[in-house]
Amino acid sequence: MIQLLLFYEFLKTGIFAIGGGYATIPFLYHICEKYNWFTVDELTDMIAISNITPGAVGINMATYTGIKTCGILGGMISITGLITGPFIITIFAIYFLNKYKNTKLLKNFFQGLIPASCALLTYTFIQLSIKNIFVENNLKALIITLILFFIYPFVRKNPSLIIFIGGFFGILFNVF
Amino acid sequence: MKLFDIFKIYFLIGCQLIGGGYVILPLLRKYLIEKRNWLKEEELIEYVALSQCLPGIIALNISIFSGWRLNKLKGSLIAVFGLILPSFIIVSLISLILYKISDMKIVENLFFGIRLSMLILLFNMIYDIFKTSMKSYFSYFLFFFILFMIIYTSFSPVILIILAILISILKGGHKN
Repeated sequence: MIQLLLFYEFLKTGIFAIGGGYATIPFLYHICEKYNWFTVDELTDMIAISNITPGAVGINMATYTGIKTCGILGGMISITGLITGPFIITIFAIYFLNKYKNTKLLKNFFQGLIPASCALLTYTFIQLSIKNIFVENNLKALIITLILFFIYPFVRKNPSLIIFIGGFFGILFNVF
Repeated sequence: MKLFDIFKIYFLIGCQLIGGGYVILPLLRKYLIEKRNWLKEEELIEYVALSQCLPGIIALNISIFSGWRLNKLKGSLIAVFGLILPSFIIVSLISLILYKISDMKIVENLFFGIRLSMLILLFNMIYDIFKTSMKSYFSYFLFFFILFMIIYTSFSPVILIILAILISILKGGHKN
């Protein structure tokens, strides 16, 4: 029952991949090694395709993996598996939050959670900056980033525009 | 608010999510706060912080939280469905037509630029959190403490978030 296994593997991935779409990548490698449903090369392609197609990266990767494994139905199964765990857990979290709404405990909870979550985002930002600007293609990347930084306030109302502008500069700067 | 409106909004957001989950914050702000006034800025920041420490894909978790806020369980289900549908359709089509897309040089350059756009979006997300929710010396202290810990120790992010919440609850500060 390949469909059932697919559901089970993505259910596990959904529950244990904490920290967003990219956290699912190690799980996908694990699935690849364990079952031979697809090759490592295909997986690399999936990650690339997931990045440039609209939609959250984790969802795209699950869809693509599912489709490679057993067709469109496979795609539906892997997505359902991926979201079932987080959905249930998040709904529980919402019940908890509503129950303790406006209590001292919850205010203090957020007073701790928000700075910590912001620190983790900052850490991701630092890591990505080092990787994308200071390790590879440093000067070109630095110039594009600065241009994007100054353009952003003008396109703030349409945030996805900045993605297209970034992609455009990426191609433009590599032509010359 | 009609369920179809919710579906429409999340479907549109799903179409525009390129390159990763961070784009969802400015998109939700555009559709739910600026256009319709269905949500408060503080609530959105809380959802982002919560989604980071729950399992699953961040964009999806934020949609579950905000969908619930709009129309309880139905809102959450519809938000998730709307967000996933564009990914599913597009990835299905791509997997049928193109396959070696990631070998193309132009795609690689496109990526290079898109990754830099992501940096700008992430930077703005951090800036927004600071502006909206970091209002005391204590939150700055926690921010730098957790940032220090994540850089120089090997504790997992989830442990650090729990630590920050515990410190905040023990310190107290909020009174009812």
